Amino acid sequence: MTDPDPTTTGPLAPDDITADSPFTLPGFFGALSEGRLVAARCTECDEHMLPPRTACYSCGGRAVSLSEQPKTGEVVSYTSVNRPPSAFEHLAPVTVAVVELDSSARLTGRVDAALADVAIGDRVELRVRDPEAAGIDPAFDLSYEAEWPVHVFELA
Amino acid sequence: MSTAHLIAVGSSPLGETDLPGRDLFSKALAEAFAGLPDPADVVDGLYVGAQSERYENQIMQGTLMAEWAGLRNVPAERVEACAAAGALALKNAVRDVRAGVHDAVLACGVEKMTAGGTEGATNALGAAFERALEQRSGITAPATYALLARRYLHETDATEEDLARIAVKNHRNAADNPRAMFQQAVDLGTVMEAPDVAPPLKLYDCAPVTDGAAAVVVANNEVAEDLSECTDAVRVAGVGSAANNLAVAERDLTYVEGADVAATAAYEDAGIGASDVDVAEVHDAFTVCEALLAEAAGFAPEGRGTETVTDPADRSAGWTDVRINTSGGLKARGHPIGATGLLQAIEAHEQLTGRAGARQVADADTALLINEGGVADAHTAAHVLTTR
Repeated sequence: MTDPDPTTTGPLAPDDITADSPFTLPGFFGALSEGRLVAARCTECDEHMLPPRTACYSCGGRAVSLSEQPKTGEVVSYTSVNRPPSAFEHLAPVTVAVVELDSSARLTGRVDAALADVAIGDRVELRVRDPEAAGIDPAFDLSYEAEWPVHVFELA
Repeated sequence: MSTAHLIAVGSSPLGETDLPGRDLFSKALAEAFAGLPDPADVVDGLYVGAQSERYENQIMQGTLMAEWAGLRNVPAERVEACAAAGALALKNAVRDVRAGVHDAVLACGVEKMTAGGTEGATNALGAAFERALEQRSGITAPATYALLARRYLHETDATEEDLARIAVKNHRNAADNPRAMFQQAVDLGTVMEAPDVAPPLKLYDCAPVTDGAAAVVVANNEVAEDLSECTDAVRVAGVGSAANNLAVAERDLTYVEGADVAATAAYEDAGIGASDVDVAEVHDAFTVCEALLAEAAGFAPEGRGTETVTDPADRSAGWTDVRINTSGGLKARGHPIGATGLLQAIEAHEQLTGRAGARQVADADTALLINEGGVADAHTAAHVLTTR
């Protein structure tokens, strides 16, 4: 699943860092809107990072590549947000979890299930949704976020 | 390198008040400089910790606080790392005094959290979390800490009742602290039966939204000596700080590594170890933090952090005899974000100068402060204070 693009096996050059590249947020969410979840993978220590970035927090190296991620994983921890920020208020209580994907990458996301139906270790699958269809107040978005999809986990 | 001392301290009342931020600062300043010369004759720089401009639509807090203290044409800067802002102000003041850049510096912190109601505070605090994936998933401060707590209860023998006992202990301590927001005890049943905020965290697991300000004077040997008749000096012997990742998902949920790094650096700077610490103020924004920080600071063995509530003689093997959050902690003393790190320093100053009244720990001479910002150890600043 690792991108063999040779420009991503050492430090990125300024010209590599464009809005088309998943190493930037527009590029990451652009790929996500097409159904691809892309992480940065450190070629030195194998750390996976979501969203991608140009340096590895684990070892400090800049030899990072892109790696399309599996959408399945398991719940590491979870809770419910009983009083969420105002843009999410009508969705309350919002179940959220930290999920470890089968690649070892981790991310936080909403879970489309009631709190009582979730447990540590549960298998989940990441779905990509349009933010308005997901019910989030569009006023929450910054101008550049308006077209970005949101991710939600469903119990597998 | 010069030696830095904490020589004078003051705080505003803590809780919901009619006073805006600058007036809360005036209250803290008035206490800190009672019986002292004018601030302009004592300090030649200022740092102010302030979490968010959303509360009062005001940045330039360095300039404003300097003006309100009667300081002009001196360096005066706001510092921010969410709830670690107060300790960052202290850290910068200590660094300047140690380096000989200034003879004395005012470190202060202020937050007017109630200005926008609960919704305003929730949204302002939400800005401390990673935006792209975590804020956009609807998380809040209690929810991120609930993710830590859920995992901690899963991996250790600790229970929700063990977390609740931390809140009970901190309320009991605050009952003896005239500065505290909640000067009353609560019982275990009340804590356990309180409404869920973000399970497993309930209302009393969470520090309150608090208005407040704090101010402390950091001075070199010469200034401390000149003012020794009207002040009591406590030496700032160790400083450490560290950032960890911003996203909670990219953190070890049961080990606050950044806090370990910061505390270890502060111990090394001071030439002490964890067992030398008599009193500690650690960042109990949520009860689980107190347990995690007791472990990260080297006071408690892994998985035994909730024994902060236990008498030292009855704690598990491997625990030190430190007393934790004698002030009542963030939970019960109150948590005006930018001022909290300095309120921790004030408690240490009172404990180490024998002014802690009914909560005085006998013969306390060394204190550790751990102030955090973001989710847990997204940023940590640690200080060792001592009269040894």
